Amino acid sequence: MSEIETFYEVMRRQGITRRSFMKYCSLTAAALGLGPSFVPKIAHAMETKPRTPVIWVHGLECTCCSESFIRSAHPLAKDVVLSMISLDYDDTLMAAAGHQAEAALEDTIQKYRGNYILAVEGNPPLNEDGMFCIVGGKPFVEQLRHAAKDAKAIISWGACASYGCVQAAAPNPTQATPVHKVITDKPIIKVPGCPPIAEVMTGVITYMLTFDRLPELDRQGRPKMFYSQRIHDKCYRRPHFDAGQFVENWDDDYARKGYCLYKMGCKGPTTYNACSTVRWNEGVSFPIQSGHGCIGCSEDGFWDQGGFYDRLTSINAFGVEANADKVGFAAAGAVGAGIAAHIAASALKSAQRKKQENEEV
Amino acid sequence: MTQGRLIVGPFNRVEGDLEVHLDLADGAVARARVNAPLYRGFERMLMGRPPSDALTLTPRICGICSISQSAAAARALADAGGHAPAPQGAAMAALIHAVENVSDHLFHFNLFFMPDFTRPVYADRPWHGQAVERFTAQTGGAQRAAIGARAALMHILGLMAGKWPHTLAIQPGGVTRAPGASDKVRILASLTAFRRYLEGTVFGGPLEDFAALSTRDALLGWDRGDAGLFLRIAADLDLDRLGRGAGRYLSFGAYPDAGGHAFAPGIWRDGARAPLDLADMVEDLSHAWMLGPASHPADGQTLPDEDMRADAYSWCKAPRLAGAPMETGALARQVIDGHPLARDLAGGGVLARVAGRLLELARSQAVMEDLARGIDPAAPFMDPAPEVQDGHGVGLVEAARGALGHWVRIEKGRIASYQIVAPTTWNFSPRDAQGQPGPLEAALVGAPVQPGETTPVSVQHIVRSFDPCMVCTVH
Repeated sequence: MSEIETFYEVMRRQGITRRSFMKYCSLTAAALGLGPSFVPKIAHAMETKPRTPVIWVHGLECTCCSESFIRSAHPLAKDVVLSMISLDYDDTLMAAAGHQAEAALEDTIQKYRGNYILAVEGNPPLNEDGMFCIVGGKPFVEQLRHAAKDAKAIISWGACASYGCVQAAAPNPTQATPVHKVITDKPIIKVPGCPPIAEVMTGVITYMLTFDRLPELDRQGRPKMFYSQRIHDKCYRRPHFDAGQFVENWDDDYARKGYCLYKMGCKGPTTYNACSTVRWNEGVSFPIQSGHGCIGCSEDGFWDQGGFYDRLTSINAFGVEANADKVGFAAAGAVGAGIAAHIAASALKSAQRKKQENEEV
Repeated sequence: MTQGRLIVGPFNRVEGDLEVHLDLADGAVARARVNAPLYRGFERMLMGRPPSDALTLTPRICGICSISQSAAAARALADAGGHAPAPQGAAMAALIHAVENVSDHLFHFNLFFMPDFTRPVYADRPWHGQAVERFTAQTGGAQRAAIGARAALMHILGLMAGKWPHTLAIQPGGVTRAPGASDKVRILASLTAFRRYLEGTVFGGPLEDFAALSTRDALLGWDRGDAGLFLRIAADLDLDRLGRGAGRYLSFGAYPDAGGHAFAPGIWRDGARAPLDLADMVEDLSHAWMLGPASHPADGQTLPDEDMRADAYSWCKAPRLAGAPMETGALARQVIDGHPLARDLAGGGVLARVAGRLLELARSQAVMEDLARGIDPAAPFMDPAPEVQDGHGVGLVEAARGALGHWVRIEKGRIASYQIVAPTTWNFSPRDAQGQPGPLEAALVGAPVQPGETTPVSVQHIVRSFDPCMVCTVH
């Protein structure tokens, strides 16, 4: 390990000042939700621990995870990723091409055997011996197995690597398969979403690089720090949900007033992700804020749950609860009952309104 | 190696996977075959689903042109129902689409194309030091600036589209977000900041001055900004001659508005413009691992040949218009729109394609500013489209990389057929039944290969000059 330089040394080499370094440490602590007392710990870790090399590979995918990652507001993305961490191998951003790139991958695996993190974007298609995704003349699944063999941990970026995502949508023409079903002997951190939020991605990777251990995971393998709450729990439109105020049609008066999108098919109540707190595009907004319901893209199977604009359930009181359990993989009894109550209230309200309108006519 | 065969790939700094097989003779490429080695089967997944599923599934074909896919799907569904979006909704869809296209142009230039000039093979050129400083992969100054400027520009996408990539805001009836007066101010502020970046860093002068260039010689005289560095390199290496095209261009027209398109649709062939007519378009399958007859996309199928028969070599179909391969992209758009500089560059190679993109980058700023200034917060942004039970429609848009079409047929409220032809499907198509190579395959012929080169730098320049998006190509 001694031949690997520390993070701080890498940063120094990039001309980063001590002051910027400390600022980086405090921003990192803040991003991870840690108190100021963690700042010296982070600084100490980065000064003494060898940096963790990262290999980033792409299977069957659309590169949306990389696209999200490089736009993170966290300084890690702009400075560290593009120079300091030095992704030792990444085929979207790196300079080398062709055989030279293949050689760079092999060098990294050999040099850091057992010490590198393998970040996987996309997934391997297994039909027809993997011929639907060929990298360097070989099926991607072979590259994945090869690179995973000596990794210390694997990050499954996005819905593709975590669950299969849209390319696994029925009838799953290529048998696109999530990483954990192919690699079964390594710790895997799932960071779902299509794509995941940039700051979630950098937060996860920062935690692992800084503390040299996996973040605490839930039973599905997702980092608890970002995936322990439903979109619905912190949604700024939640008061309208609680008040039984719903958008009934695109761009109606209720939409302009920012009412709840539940009736437009919003999957916020069953989706575990940080969109409503961290938000997107440097914290500007998130889908619900743009007037479109959440489609639940960080949940397993979101692509095959019926129409994306179907309500989570009919006005049937018990359907929500069952559905929330199934999709959200957690007891959502209280919320389920709440939804049922509010839908009932809302139905009542709209019936009253209709009645009034009729009377006016 | 100056004789024999060479397999170039995997390509880095392109979106998706790509492999190019080259036959070499006398130190140059004699014949090229382009293979798109990634297939996912979106068109098959869409069969039998509710039509609105296309709005969520098709953008996920691609993480860098997802709004283009989204806009094409929305337009195809609107067309199937004979519906027109609310005019302000259409304008907002055009604005967020333009932001994505501009972002793609910016990334292509800074992150994908220019880093090849930092290679050691050019160490003896007078501009090499500057290229290294500005464009070294992952660390160059220009790259960092571009990443920052692009992320800031994309605040508009955050605001209007909720998130990017994989926006859901564009619907057949318009957009889901009605911007208020304060949103309008924020959008205009983001655009002003982006103009400042473009004028300060990329062009080193007013965008209108660059857009006013009208000849190739005037273009090569532009010596400011990173664009100036590229043009100095282009003149030194004679990039106009490298990878020349056939001068046959296709554009579906970009950013439709009440009065037409910001960049007009049409066809350019034999040095003249003709109206867009897709009646005699076919997708040829003779060299693709796809089964079935050559057909118009309205009647097309996607049946992968799992035996991967020996006389085919790519998952990519070969679209042809009136029997001819067509090149598409920013250069095509600008030639067809009638810009004098683009017309002067028509038929050119690496220089023409990259300059076409720079020209469009400069011109699109005004398009975006006009759209933003035209926002009327009181107007409706959505005229909800009724659900279509039976019908067929087509959605034609211009993605950053060129003409993108979605053809949909709906029966009994379900998708009965969905065909997508993406820009790189045109540009990187394999041969057709007549043996005509696709535009990239043709452009590669004659590219010089130095002894010992295994990833010939000339091939890298030509491939990247098309700004390929391989995940869209086959999908």
